[in-house]
Amino acid sequence: MSVDGRTLESSVHGQAGLGCIDCHADLKGVKDFPHAEKLKRVDCALCHAKPAQDLKVSIHSPDRPGAPVAVATCADCHGTHDIRAKNDPDSRVFALNLPRTCEKCHGERVVGDRGAEFIKNYETSVHFRALGKAGLTRSADCSDCHGSHLIRNVHDAASQVSRGRIIQTCGRCHARIERDYLEGVHGRDYVRGGMDVPVCTDCHSEHAILSPRDARSTVYATNVAGVCSHCHDDEVLSKQYGFRTSRLKTFSSSFHGVASKFGEARVANCASCHGFHGIRPSSDPRSPINAANLARTCGKCHAGAGRNFTRGKIHVVSAEESNPAANVIRVFYILLIVVVISVSLLFIAADLWGRLRERWNR
Amino acid sequence: MEQIRRSPLIGEDEAFVRMSLVERLQHGAVLVVFVLLILTGLPLLLHRLKIFKWVFSPEKSFYIRGLIHRAAAVGLIAAAVWHAASTAFTSRGRRNLKDMRPRVKDVRDAVQSLGFNLGFSRYLHRHGLGKNFFERHPFWLFKTAPLFERYSFIEKFEYWALVWGTMIMILSGFFMWRVDLSLRLFPLWVHNIFILVHGYEAVLALLAILTWHMYNVHLNPEDFPMSKVWLNGKMTGRELRLRHPLEYRRIHEGRLSRKRAETRAGEALAGRQARSRPKKSQKRP
Repeated sequence: MSVDGRTLESSVHGQAGLGCIDCHADLKGVKDFPHAEKLKRVDCALCHAKPAQDLKVSIHSPDRPGAPVAVATCADCHGTHDIRAKNDPDSRVFALNLPRTCEKCHGERVVGDRGAEFIKNYETSVHFRALGKAGLTRSADCSDCHGSHLIRNVHDAASQVSRGRIIQTCGRCHARIERDYLEGVHGRDYVRGGMDVPVCTDCHSEHAILSPRDARSTVYATNVAGVCSHCHDDEVLSKQYGFRTSRLKTFSSSFHGVASKFGEARVANCASCHGFHGIRPSSDPRSPINAANLARTCGKCHAGAGRNFTRGKIHVVSAEESNPAANVIRVFYILLIVVVISVSLLFIAADLWGRLRERWNR
Repeated sequence: MEQIRRSPLIGEDEAFVRMSLVERLQHGAVLVVFVLLILTGLPLLLHRLKIFKWVFSPEKSFYIRGLIHRAAAVGLIAAAVWHAASTAFTSRGRRNLKDMRPRVKDVRDAVQSLGFNLGFSRYLHRHGLGKNFFERHPFWLFKTAPLFERYSFIEKFEYWALVWGTMIMILSGFFMWRVDLSLRLFPLWVHNIFILVHGYEAVLALLAILTWHMYNVHLNPEDFPMSKVWLNGKMTGRELRLRHPLEYRRIHEGRLSRKRAETRAGEALAGRQARSRPKKSQKRP
């Protein structure tokens, strides 16, 4: 291996005035050049104690029980002689370059139990779009969510992307949304340690996060109902937490639900009425579905909506639950239809029978 | 089943106007908008069927469905207004309405028609059952089919069902179209009833058309594949005699009395002429 002096000179270490022997301690005192081809592994921890310590307890550590054969070392991500500062656009760990660096391993070889597609999906996300297309370095790259040296498995409670910590992780950039979320019903249970409450990734997905205006997004207008009903049509969860099920069923049979299912994005979905990050129960005076606020909430689409919007029920599961008049009318119509059509068929059958008999008698 | 004798004054092939051009146009308009309304409305009721997911896969197709539904609704309202006007303001329309009025006879006709076709009473009678009852109430023996006037109970039932259904659909549909207006006037639970009624009435209308209308003007062996009255508007003297015998008799009697009047007038005229002719001839030279 030959090292170009200029590579080292332009690296972050070269610029700091470090020479070969500062890292390759075993070259100290060697007079006989060229030196041996194989040198001892450089110990970065001598200067970079903290990152090295972090790496030791991370998923990339070789000391971890059950660690795979190949794990990432300092050099795998940072390079060797050409190491540059993180904010240097030529650095391997510069925001715009990091995804490519991680994908050296996580593109094919090390893909976890959800497969390569799951990781690759990041490239379709709004985060990668901002990063790759606009060069917005603030947008989330791998390390923003997973951490850098101290990356842990998602199932490890200490992981930045674990259910218990993902809210704070996303909140580092999306601070306002984090605050809204923590004030809502989901957030309040989350703070108490509820593990069943939805966190950011449950609705927005993980790697493939898209803008809510993108029709492929999980939180696009016509997809929202499907996302919420994951939990809100779940019998077990409803018993455990005391909320009512069949929210999707009752929404689906309304005009809003039917139109939404057939791709009409302008009709109301769950979030249009209930809000999204800071969803509150209807008893909360700040909830958009609190009786006092309904007129304003419905008025977003139905201009001039007044108090009448509050005089009736939405999400009606059964006839008994709806108003008695509707129930009477429903029964009346079912009887009417059955009677009219049966009588009609009776007359038709009689007519055919009469004609048939006439033909026989002739 | 010939129950009325042929009239020498009415030709068997003579054409009578059963539906005027205006009536046929109104029927055609209702036919077109009814089909459009069903096609664009039914998916909302049957939204669980997978096929509609495919039907509405093109972008904006659901929105266009709504546009067509409301355009057809305007068409139905226009046809209803036109029909109401032509019924109220033309002498033919007023006569139609008069002939269309439900009467007690229609209920009797319906019962008689059913009883005659089933033939159960005659069967009992033949086997000597209920003799006293049938002697006292010969109607219940259903010996003959009922004789119809210009509109039979079948046509009257369908006409009034259409009138009732159209009014319900226009009223509920209007408020579903203008949700804002509806909820300015009524509480939400009333609006929910509009939606409920619109759906059930649509199902009733569709099933009624598919059974009653389909059988009585298309599928019955006599008219199969269809009665052409809605196209040419004509009915022959023979058809009139067999299907609307009381109207046939009315026409016959009308012509008979007119003929008698003409004969009397002719005789009177002949008599006058006979008396006056000699005078004229006397004056001339």
